Amino acid sequence: MLDRDKLFAARLQAALARPYLATALFALHTVESRQVPTMAVDRHWRCYVAPGFVDRTPVEELAGVWVHEVSHLLRDHHGRSDRVARERGLTGRAERLRMNIAADCEINDDVYGDGLVRPEGAVEPATLDLPEGELMEDYLRQFGLGPRTQDLAWLDCGSGADGLEREWDLGPDGGHGLSEQERDAVRFRVAQGITGRPGSASKGWRRWAEEAFHPPQPWRQLLGAALRSAVSGSGAGEDYTYGRPSRRSAGVPGAVLPSLRRRPPRVSVVVDTSGSVSDTELGTALLEVAAISRAVGGRRDLVTVLSCDAATRVVHPLCRAEGIVLLGGGGTDLRAGFAKALRSQPRPDVIVALTDGQTPWPSAPPPCRTVVGLFDRPGRRRWDEDDAEYVPDTPPAWARTVVIGSAAS
Amino acid sequence: MPTRTLSAPTRPAHDRAAASQLDVAGELVALLSDTTTEPRPDTQLEALTLAVAADLPVLLWGEPGIGKSAALTQLADSLDLPLTTVIASVHEPSDFSGLPIVGDDPAEQGVPMAPPDWAVRLVRAGRGLLFLDELSTAPPAVQAALLRLVLERRIGALRLPPGVRIVAAANPRSSAADGWELSPPLANRFVHLQWVHDHEVVVRGLGGTWPRATLPRLAPERLADAVGFARRAVCGLLSARPALVHRLPSGETRRGGAWPSPRSWEMTLRLIAFATAADASRDVLSLLVRGTVGDGPGLELLASLERMDLPDPEDLLADPAGADLPERGDLRQAVLDGVVAAVRRRPEKARWDAAWALLVRALETGAPDLVVVPATTLATLRQGDWDVPASIEALSGAVLLSRRAEQAAARATAATKAGR
Repeated sequence: MLDRDKLFAARLQAALARPYLATALFALHTVESRQVPTMAVDRHWRCYVAPGFVDRTPVEELAGVWVHEVSHLLRDHHGRSDRVARERGLTGRAERLRMNIAADCEINDDVYGDGLVRPEGAVEPATLDLPEGELMEDYLRQFGLGPRTQDLAWLDCGSGADGLEREWDLGPDGGHGLSEQERDAVRFRVAQGITGRPGSASKGWRRWAEEAFHPPQPWRQLLGAALRSAVSGSGAGEDYTYGRPSRRSAGVPGAVLPSLRRRPPRVSVVVDTSGSVSDTELGTALLEVAAISRAVGGRRDLVTVLSCDAATRVVHPLCRAEGIVLLGGGGTDLRAGFAKALRSQPRPDVIVALTDGQTPWPSAPPPCRTVVGLFDRPGRRRWDEDDAEYVPDTPPAWARTVVIGSAAS
Repeated sequence: MPTRTLSAPTRPAHDRAAASQLDVAGELVALLSDTTTEPRPDTQLEALTLAVAADLPVLLWGEPGIGKSAALTQLADSLDLPLTTVIASVHEPSDFSGLPIVGDDPAEQGVPMAPPDWAVRLVRAGRGLLFLDELSTAPPAVQAALLRLVLERRIGALRLPPGVRIVAAANPRSSAADGWELSPPLANRFVHLQWVHDHEVVVRGLGGTWPRATLPRLAPERLADAVGFARRAVCGLLSARPALVHRLPSGETRRGGAWPSPRSWEMTLRLIAFATAADASRDVLSLLVRGTVGDGPGLELLASLERMDLPDPEDLLADPAGADLPERGDLRQAVLDGVVAAVRRRPEKARWDAAWALLVRALETGAPDLVVVPATTLATLRQGDWDVPASIEALSGAVLLSRRAEQAAARATAATKAGR
């Protein structure tokens, strides 16, 4: 017999220790099951519980397991596992076990402590010699099944954790399941509770809440989209003009038709690195700009690069290799770089500034489209050491800003 | 070169050996296209149907080749409208804004803008479904002309009759060839629907069985109720959360998508009314609402709809014995909290007793941990001359449970402190 009182006392303790998770914990529907090794969830927010496990586990550890299981669902581990499986071609039970372990690592490094006991045998990144604070997708790249994971082979958090259907699953029509919309609503309420009172939640949960419904997007695609829309906007690129009659005019006597003309866009890249940007990221961003402007019809000689500071190490070899025109250093200040780019003849259609943002910006919008690729460094900001109050200006509103970071790539 | 045409199906079998390779190929093609359909719920198609029925401009976002056109064909079938597909990227702006025809005396008579033939046919028919495909790969001037068509329903000098419904399709920004995007004011006029393919549906379809969606039908007798419900839902949320009325999108990731404004809330209201009258599922409504006012405000609206479905605390207090509490734990706790809050607002002995009776009922019909917090709060509302009701005996289990949780919490705190 399932000791429901013990199980629910544990859930109550979990809800009191983590009030922002209460909605999610209470939304779970418990199902007694003898096939489950411990506790497991499915994607319809049912929680399968083995009576024997409840009997032999202390209440405070059960509370930790409750939070662990509900975390799988809140963080959409089944959906993310399915996506990873499709993208990377991972099939089979062993891969799903790896996903379960990776998902456990993502959860376990910061949910316990502060009134919540770590259950016996919980996997942590340190168990596998992995760094803390990463996402399931990252962990999945860093370990394989082997002697070190031998003890984890019994680990089974159910289809809610790794997306693989289990024999005990009741399925979508099994009753008491949550529909997709209901699941979103519960996750939204929890996220809202955390962002509403961020003080009580851990850093990991706050990050989850911020990203739950606005996942970070790949910066390459965003930079590409911003750049493409800048170079194909009016005044650059391909569009209709009444300057010359259309070839179709011959077929429609008496009508004046516009014709399609292409004017390749000129792109100036202003690089302001000031030494704090990683070479790889700067290199990728620069190559990305060159590739995109080529794709929209630019020629190599229409892309110019201005380096504002000590960027020679990356920028010079790259420009040589790519056949990009390199203009001389523009000074120590991004404003000087903008001014120099605008002085060049003919004037660029688009300026792309690659910067870490620790710079003053031009006070007035330049007379061409501007895209800012911002290297964001939340961990190691380069504040002014003499002036603790100093906060650098954020990119101005007239520029399209794309945050470039390794995390979202 | 043979010039006579062969009709493969009527040819006798002994002749088949002599049949040309093309006939055999034709037979093979016929075999391949011989597929069946099966009924299957399709939320995105249902959402599209409702938005088109509500006569709101719809923008389908989807990668090329995932069956947007096929969906439109099915939609046209079910709405019984002739389908006109216009591939925007192969047209010129004058095809949509009208071809300028220079007459005898332009200065005196002006230059008329002649509409293209498909528009004339559409206007003459008076009804139809106009599908503007590949909006995002058309040059900017074509897009500008097209947006006027979508939003003002004008092609040159012609005005599309009200019986014509318009749907546009675009590729997402990341895959659009030349980075087309909507400015926020334009984006605000559309219902944005993300069109994704369902892996299972595609595999089963290639295996020979394509889905056939049963599309929502509006029930004439529910119209008045639907409007009332939609007004209550939107006004209830917006009066509690005034900040949601207007919020311009910020940041590169959310550009060109749905965002809340009085205009898009009005569209949302209309969509809720349509979804209610058609008895559509919450999943369909979720797609529509989030595609109109954006994810955050859309989810808040859906969450408040969920709360609107909950029983009224006053009704429960009036008849605790017959109370029907929701099955789902989090909703049940929300109801119990609401009941306790109602007693706090107007504390009377009879209401307090009724609330205890409700808690006992909740304990008998569901998980005991949900009752603990409301019971603790209710106990603090007791006033001096109120006697504890007899029914409270039944709650002793919950009290034990709560004590057990507290003891575990104390042990956990001690353990986690020691561990540091």
